[in-house]
Amino acid sequence: MTGSLSPRVAGLLAVAGAGAVAALASGRPELAVLAAPLLLFAGVGLALAQRPRVSASIELDRDRLLEGERARATVTLANHGASRAEVELLLAGSALLALEPPGPVLVGVAPGATTTLELTALARRWGAHSVGPALVRVRDPLGIRAWSGQLGGRLALRAFPREQRLRELVAPLATQPFLGSHVARVRGEGIEFADVRPFAPGDRARQVNWRATARRGALYVTERHPEHASDVVLLLDTFAEARGGAGGTLDAAVRAAAALARAHLARRDRVALVDFGGTLHWLEPAFGTAQLYRIVDALLASEIAFSYAWRAVESIPRRVLPPTGLILAITPLLDERSLRLLADLRRRGADVTVIEVSPFAHTPPGRTESDAVAHRLWRLQREAIRARLQSLGIGVAVWEEDAMLGPALEGVNRFRRSARRSLRV
Amino acid sequence: MATDAHAASALAWAATALAVLLVAVGALARSAAPVHVAVALLGALLLLRHDLRLLLAPAYGGGLLVIEELATRSIELAGVRMLGRGVMGARAAAAGATAALGACAGALAALAVTGAPERSLALTAVGAAAIVVAFGAIGRLGRRTRAEPPAPAGPPSVHPQRAAALPVEELPNERVV
Repeated sequence: MTGSLSPRVAGLLAVAGAGAVAALASGRPELAVLAAPLLLFAGVGLALAQRPRVSASIELDRDRLLEGERARATVTLANHGASRAEVELLLAGSALLALEPPGPVLVGVAPGATTTLELTALARRWGAHSVGPALVRVRDPLGIRAWSGQLGGRLALRAFPREQRLRELVAPLATQPFLGSHVARVRGEGIEFADVRPFAPGDRARQVNWRATARRGALYVTERHPEHASDVVLLLDTFAEARGGAGGTLDAAVRAAAALARAHLARRDRVALVDFGGTLHWLEPAFGTAQLYRIVDALLASEIAFSYAWRAVESIPRRVLPPTGLILAITPLLDERSLRLLADLRRRGADVTVIEVSPFAHTPPGRTESDAVAHRLWRLQREAIRARLQSLGIGVAVWEEDAMLGPALEGVNRFRRSARRSLRV
Repeated sequence: MATDAHAASALAWAATALAVLLVAVGALARSAAPVHVAVALLGALLLLRHDLRLLLAPAYGGGLLVIEELATRSIELAGVRMLGRGVMGARAAAAGATAALGACAGALAALAVTGAPERSLALTAVGAAAIVVAFGAIGRLGRRTRAEPPAPAGPPSVHPQRAAALPVEELPNERVV
């Protein structure tokens, strides 16, 4: 720890020195008598001050939580010195963690004793946060000297994004031959009724539709749609974001991506993640809970990385983009590069849907009339972008951050049903 | 004579008000400098008295030290959001000890002054040398660095190697020596 003198020492010495000099100059001994206690106090304080021997350890009651939840941090201070230590402690933490109490805490620790402090850390946003170390300042009993430094380590605290429950998801155009929850377009073994047709050699007896057979006088069998899984690629646009005081479009995009990943994995889909922006990260498609944790962990590291680089589809590994997979692009539609990528993917025959995270909550129109006109023009420009994407067969779900994601996805499904013919891969 | 007493009283009240204002400014600005100016001002007020000055000086000096102690400690506590148990008790004990120490030191100084011979150039030189010696001793105490063993480490945390990555944040009101 670094030792320092309290600024009061200089003040005490200045006042005492002035009194002593004035006493000598004026021949008034009372001034020297007044100066003596101040001088003696500073001298005794400096003589008695001893380097403190204090240690601290920090523990968290959990290392992962949902954003908006609190974790309890326990700081244990131990005084190994021979005199009482007055410890001023400030727990360091990530900027997106709200520590309670927000300022320093002052505690006294008796010699040879330990003191425990309970503090709380509120995760204001998802992310990989850190708690600690403890910044401490220990003062001697007379407050003349202080020692400051860092004690304890830095603990990781992962805050997972809040998730919405999604009842309806974007229905994929094509499915994979794995057991899943989507009704496939092909016919085979399943539950959903597809059609009846005349019996053919090889059909099983339990497939016979006895009502149709009785009505038509010949053997008819029921055909069904099987339930298959699909491949879903979550494409997170991290080229640019709109950010206001309360948050940004990336915050909402990560929440949406986490909710979509959970919902699709629950329906036994294979889910991949592509973080497409200034830097490129990806996770290959996989099933199950482990993949959900992998995706959420990858999402926590998402950030806007400023870059002038133009990235094309070729920069994404082929194995991450299954040819018949559903690509869900979560984007604020703010960067031309992401628009080009989406159009390029669609032209290559990919099944693309855009979930547009609306930036309007973070971009108020401004106060002057010209600002309002510019804002209206910008809105019109965005509508033109949406129309351009829809003309390519890309469904666009406009999602306001405060609203539920489900209704926006329903709107996309309506668009996809109406435009199915043009969407066929 | 009555007019002089009235003027001295008015001056004392004005100086006291100014001292209170300076302490308040110090508390608001979280700086000890105005507090020490206020202490000097209050000390100078003793010269306005014409009787029992030397007799009152020890208690007055102790009182000045208590004022300085309370004001600077209040400034230290201004940024603190939570106080542990026993802190205020320890502070009150420290303030009481400070007052007693100040009064005793003042009384010793008064005794020494009372027994001293008449003022002379040699005595003034001795006094100046005593001041220099006292300040030199205090300066040495301030600069000393004790070679003590470092404090034992506490239980290890999850990422102790990362602790060094965090920049040291200087807490306010401190000067690194």
